[in-house]
Amino acid sequence: MINYFKTIYQVSKALLQGMAVTGRWLFQPAITVQYPDEKLTPPERFRGTLVFDKETCTACNLCVKACPTACISLEPYVDPATQKRIAKVNWYQIDFGKCNYCRLCEEACPTKPIKSVRHSHDYEWSMKERSEMFVKWKRDPSPVIADTPKDTGTKAA
Amino acid sequence: MIFPVLTQSQKRSIGVLALMGLIGGGTAMAIGELGMRLTQIWEFLLPILQKLPIPEMASQIAGMVIECSLLIGFISVSVMFMVWWERKVSAHMQSRLGPMTTGGWHGWAQTIADGIKLILKEDIIPESANSWVHRLAPVLVFVPAFICYAVLPFGSNLIAVNLDIGVLFIFAISGLSVLGIVMAGWGSGNKYSMLGGLRAAAQSVSYEIPRVLSIVPILLFVGSLKLTDIANYQSGMWFGFIPRWFIFYPVIGQIAFIIFLISSVAETNRTPFDIAEAESELVAGFHTEYSGMKFSLFFLAEYAYVFLSSGLTTALFLGGGSGPLLPTWVWFLLKSFGIVFLFLWFRWTFPRMRVDRLMEFTWKFLMPWSFVNILIAGAVVLALGV
Amino acid sequence: MATELIRIPGSDFQTEEMILNLGPQHPSTHGVLRVVLKIDGEVITAAQPDVGYLHRGTEKLAENRTYPQMLVISDRWDYLSAMSNNLIWCLAVEKLLQIEVPLRGDYLRVIMVELNRIASHLVFFGTYGIDIGAYTPFLHAFREREKILDLFEEVSGARMTYNYIRIGGVMADLPEDWIGKCRSFLEWIKPRFVEYDILLTENPIFKDRTQNIGIISKEDAISYAITGPNLRGCGISFDLRKDEPYCHYQDFKFDVPTGKQGDCWDRYWVRIQEMKESVKIVEQALDHLPTGVPNAKVPRIIRPPVGESYAQLEAPRGVLGIYCLSAGEDKPYRVHVRAPSFINLTILQKILVGMKLADVVAILGSIDIVLGEVDR
Repeated sequence: MINYFKTIYQVSKALLQGMAVTGRWLFQPAITVQYPDEKLTPPERFRGTLVFDKETCTACNLCVKACPTACISLEPYVDPATQKRIAKVNWYQIDFGKCNYCRLCEEACPTKPIKSVRHSHDYEWSMKERSEMFVKWKRDPSPVIADTPKDTGTKAA
Repeated sequence: MIFPVLTQSQKRSIGVLALMGLIGGGTAMAIGELGMRLTQIWEFLLPILQKLPIPEMASQIAGMVIECSLLIGFISVSVMFMVWWERKVSAHMQSRLGPMTTGGWHGWAQTIADGIKLILKEDIIPESANSWVHRLAPVLVFVPAFICYAVLPFGSNLIAVNLDIGVLFIFAISGLSVLGIVMAGWGSGNKYSMLGGLRAAAQSVSYEIPRVLSIVPILLFVGSLKLTDIANYQSGMWFGFIPRWFIFYPVIGQIAFIIFLISSVAETNRTPFDIAEAESELVAGFHTEYSGMKFSLFFLAEYAYVFLSSGLTTALFLGGGSGPLLPTWVWFLLKSFGIVFLFLWFRWTFPRMRVDRLMEFTWKFLMPWSFVNILIAGAVVLALGV
Repeated sequence: MATELIRIPGSDFQTEEMILNLGPQHPSTHGVLRVVLKIDGEVITAAQPDVGYLHRGTEKLAENRTYPQMLVISDRWDYLSAMSNNLIWCLAVEKLLQIEVPLRGDYLRVIMVELNRIASHLVFFGTYGIDIGAYTPFLHAFREREKILDLFEEVSGARMTYNYIRIGGVMADLPEDWIGKCRSFLEWIKPRFVEYDILLTENPIFKDRTQNIGIISKEDAISYAITGPNLRGCGISFDLRKDEPYCHYQDFKFDVPTGKQGDCWDRYWVRIQEMKESVKIVEQALDHLPTGVPNAKVPRIIRPPVGESYAQLEAPRGVLGIYCLSAGEDKPYRVHVRAPSFINLTILQKILVGMKLADVVAILGSIDIVLGEVDR
């Protein structure tokens, strides 16, 4: 008999304690960040969308090899005058439909001090069609003055 | 720490709320007794109507239509408020904000937008469903809820039909809703719906009994089934400061209140007793296959029942509209929404009970205790000769 | 599974069994799992889990990926504890390469894996609350998990697919002030456990729903090769962190909580206790974090010698193992993943029989599967 009432007491106590917890949180400030109005700054190592710097790229193909999903493709620039490959890209393409945002390409990139392919802090990006996901950087049509690159040491692997 | 240091925005919201309370209270006091005002308007209109060359029947029908539309208007507005309120309360209990943009101030127009969306949505009847049963079910769920509002005393003299058997009427009619739920479950042609419908039937029938039995002590004291009588019986004070509400009757009142509250929550199919819907088990239970306006009828009925139960609790246990300063209808609404808040609080705190445990709980716990309560109350009535 | 007529003895009244598809589209199958249930009223007479809806063929993909590239895929197995997946792949490859990771690297790995264990168990706590019907614990748990993910984001740059633990060490050393943030998080989460206990663990309705439900006996657990909290919930103290330490787990003091009878509540309780133990481990690791470089020297192109390796670790869901076969190329010849969720799921068809329909989600939730790992 005593046990019966004891159980009732314990059960009601536990239930009321639960209500006290939710009741307490009712008056605590919310932690919601109201996204389009308020934005958090991404941390330093944030892996946002990839950006590519076509000027510094040496077309070394390391990022192409590093990519786990083979979403990067590039074509080295061949000087029409000499028919020689020089350490510049003709075009560079990333298929963001496949990109894993894993940073392996950035880590493989040998250019210094700033990697020519790297993650930015930008994360607001949307595409409507699959074809838009292929982002292509093309070499500027202006001719390259120097035949032999001086500033880059690495050749295509 | 229960009350943290208030931030600027919190101070502002408290200020806004206080201002709204002041304005609302002021307006309410300016309006005064709504029942009296309505009677005045009706008395003003009646001679004009009688002078017009229309039969007396027509004016009476017009009066009924006005009453009905007032009730429907009240149900829709209160449901809209409750849905918004529930979203806000649940959000803040979970460290969220809830709807914030629709309508500007804290998403007050969210429910209106949702309502418009529900009206515009495609109305789907599954191929395997029994078309007529499927269509009829939401109506059968909502109509009883609406009818019950007719006998709910919103304040002094503010009651559509003052039936002598008001309490019994509410229980009898609201019990009909389960028919609609079973029909929805069976007529949808979906296994989950059917399980939900069957569960709802078992649950509603079981919880109806302790719910009715729990208020027998009150009926013993009052000696009437009329809701206005019950509310009037609770006016006045004990020792000058304790209101003579039934909830303050030692032991009897509290037991009856708790049993009534628990079975009311169960009757309205809300967590921890929402086994009929049981999202994680039965997808959405009996209304899995409903969409658009038919779904919103279920939704409307659920919240209408929540307010009905709260209003009934107020009338039976919390002295109806009695209270100082403000008019009775304001007090009634305040108390009722207080009980609605309890409903929300339960829902966002507790897990769901299991079907068989639910049945055990009502038959083995609530039922015996309501009988014991009747016994005690009977003894008290005999001894004191109340 | 055909329906059968059920005759009630002594009467000409008969009922029919019903086949109920729980999933693949169902709110509480935690992904795309289908369980074919044969029910008599609300009682289950047979159950058959049907997996494979999320199959991505990662074991085959591994054969076309170099060793570091496979790390990215490993994030996607058990997406709630990607750090463990990263770690197990690295352990397996390091065994092939016979690389010794510096002490600091090991400690960093332990910190990350244990934080990830907390995050993973928090998801379990929250979703289990939803399975039982309590919604508030879910968002409370996610609020705390969000803080862990913020820590991970700072350290690795991503919130779910970390790719942080690398072959030979970690991606990069801790950022500035990370330790302070981590400590303040640990201080924040400790009082939360008390709230969790009030909200769910000690809640009478919750106890009623989970105690004596879905009991796994010790014998069954062993014969079905159940591991992780599910095994410890049965009362068997088996934890690879203690029994077969890797990553210098022997340096840390922690308890291995075990349940009593192996019901849903025990499994749940073990996980809650494990979170508390993980907090202890992270604190110890932060206290004694060695200085130095975290990374070992690893060849630029990883080409392990011909051979095979099997590595296993205690993931939040059980023993996660990798069998890796190298043919001397820069890509593995064959990889097999021993996914704990998949193996734990097999007991479902045994323990579901005879239970009520409402218990299905309670039992399924208590096994705590991640479909990304079940189907791989």
